[in-house]
Amino acid sequence: MNTFEKGTKIKLESGDSVEVVKKLGDGGQGIVYFVNYKKKPYALKWYYPNKLKNAQQFKENIVNNIKQGPPTEAFIWPQMITKNQDDSFGYLMDLRPVEYEDFSRFLTAKVKFSSVSAVVNAALNIVNGFRELHRCGYSYQDINDGNFFINSESGEVLICDNDNVAQYGDNLGIAGKCRYMAPEVVLGEKHPSVHTDRYSLAVTLFLLLFVSHPLEGSRTTCPCMTESLEKKFYGSEPVFIFDPENDTNRPVRGIHNNAIKLWPIYPRYIQEAFEKSFGEGLKKENARLTETQWQKLFLRLRDETITCGCGSEVFVDSEADAIQCMGCGKTIQTPLFLKVKNNQVALYPKSKLYKCHTNIDSDDFKEEMGEVIQSKSNPGLWGLRNSSNTTWYMTTPDGKQKDVRPGGVVQILRGIMIDFGKNRGEII
Amino acid sequence: MGIYDELCGGIARRTMVLFFLVDTSGSMAGSKIGAVNEAINDIVPELRDISDNNADAQIKIAVLEFNSGAEWLYPNPIEAENFEWDYLDVGGVTDLGTAFTMLDEKLSRNEFMSDVAGSFAPAIFLMSDGQPTDHYEKGLAKLKENNWYKNAIKVAVAIGDDADQDVLKDFTGNSESVLTARNPEALKKMITFVSVTASKIGSQSSSVEFSGKSSAPSKQDDFVEQIQDFNADIFDDDAEIEW
Repeated sequence: MNTFEKGTKIKLESGDSVEVVKKLGDGGQGIVYFVNYKKKPYALKWYYPNKLKNAQQFKENIVNNIKQGPPTEAFIWPQMITKNQDDSFGYLMDLRPVEYEDFSRFLTAKVKFSSVSAVVNAALNIVNGFRELHRCGYSYQDINDGNFFINSESGEVLICDNDNVAQYGDNLGIAGKCRYMAPEVVLGEKHPSVHTDRYSLAVTLFLLLFVSHPLEGSRTTCPCMTESLEKKFYGSEPVFIFDPENDTNRPVRGIHNNAIKLWPIYPRYIQEAFEKSFGEGLKKENARLTETQWQKLFLRLRDETITCGCGSEVFVDSEADAIQCMGCGKTIQTPLFLKVKNNQVALYPKSKLYKCHTNIDSDDFKEEMGEVIQSKSNPGLWGLRNSSNTTWYMTTPDGKQKDVRPGGVVQILRGIMIDFGKNRGEII
Repeated sequence: MGIYDELCGGIARRTMVLFFLVDTSGSMAGSKIGAVNEAINDIVPELRDISDNNADAQIKIAVLEFNSGAEWLYPNPIEAENFEWDYLDVGGVTDLGTAFTMLDEKLSRNEFMSDVAGSFAPAIFLMSDGQPTDHYEKGLAKLKENNWYKNAIKVAVAIGDDADQDVLKDFTGNSESVLTARNPEALKKMITFVSVTASKIGSQSSSVEFSGKSSAPSKQDDFVEQIQDFNADIFDDDAEIEW
């Protein structure tokens, strides 16, 4: 198909039209253009003619999704659909903001995360996006590295290519790339669904944390990866590179360096989640972790991440007396924790409290409610600042009570209780 | 500052080698070789981008020219990121058989396909405007036994009507993967399309698609399908001017 020239007008179903400015890129299904609509910039995805198996059904599905609206703001969702023109059609969506980069560029190390927290935030955001998508009754179907744009500083995530998203039980004939697909889909035994999404989600999270593929180790470093071998490695005989009982596919030094370097850094509960996902979860749909389970794990991971004075981030273990910084090698005394219902947050300078900590009914992991600060005159003195707009009530171990107004600080001492209004915590 | 900053490299990527086999016999003189040189030179940045943003595989490029004999332009396949096209000159006859033999030698894990992280099957792109002047059959028969060749995406462009279509079909294994360029403009478009499409399909983890029955995807089939769509488009553009 020829690409649209600058200035080409394309009619929307609404009767308005958009004007093509330039081509932004192309993929397996079509071309994405920068267009103007009512003087505002948008992206237009235009399908290759005759490429979709059932174009009419596909279009109806997009129209329906436009009507339903996006599950969260993290989705670059279809907003308007075009009329048919030159044997095809397209849809309009928001452009990607410049500070977001393709996930594939993180995987090829062209872009790097600024911190472990940014990685963990990205994991939380991806998991949360899929949780909300599934809660709306959709399945994504074709999760792969081309679907995510990530902010390397904050870990904010945008999920794109939402045109394959279908209602529960529906399937649009799209299955995706072997490397990301659940074994039963690779083998053609099942169609993509919420369950296969959960498998692909685990692959994506593994890629994100370990910058390596969970099934690519010594067994798969064959000279020529043919299509039949891909079916074998991702479909009929997959083996997790860190399977505790099967060491036939361990990462190879010199090839899978990232897996070797990053796996031991993460706490056991994170490793176990992946062992389950790529152990039992390879064959058993119900053994795959749900988004809510992943969200809890990554929240815990974030709660237990502290920043050493040297700038490196360290995962603390509340059971151990001390930990060693991965950056400077210094021994760090295990800090005190704030124990709230469901969570336990390490209290170390720069640690933050979020709404999910201070409000028992909330699972908002983004809105900041408090921060651990260090006294300027006495760096050994730490406090928890109330960054929310409500007053907290603290009780000291000897029973004295005090208000902590917005902006006020609670000194961090063992035994202090804090009433946040909608949740209570104790420093332990 | 942190562990992710210090990662030396990205995810282990396979390699996909894109082979250009270019006829540089005397009859390619003038606008034919001119169009080949321009088109490949122009497409290099796009191949670089495809490789750069690809977490499945990196693309390397190898070039074999054949005339009276054949010669590899570079001792090893070169990463698309670092590849620069050396403009080719012409002269001599069309020793296609020699080219096939030399290709067969390099399609080996001890030669060009030696990447430690492994490779995807290569994409092999043959361009010729004439009849082979040597006994190509023996070279091709040997090549056909090579497993890399068997799994490769194969495509040929016949430059003008004097090219031996039967040989090219024999090389690609089907008539759909042989395109015919009748003027420099069409040739440039074909080189661009074939290089980009073969690189994209060849350098990705293979796709699974449900056709309703059993799923049997093949990169070569996928490629042929795209080539047919392209050919249908370009046919209308084919101007009267011929070589």
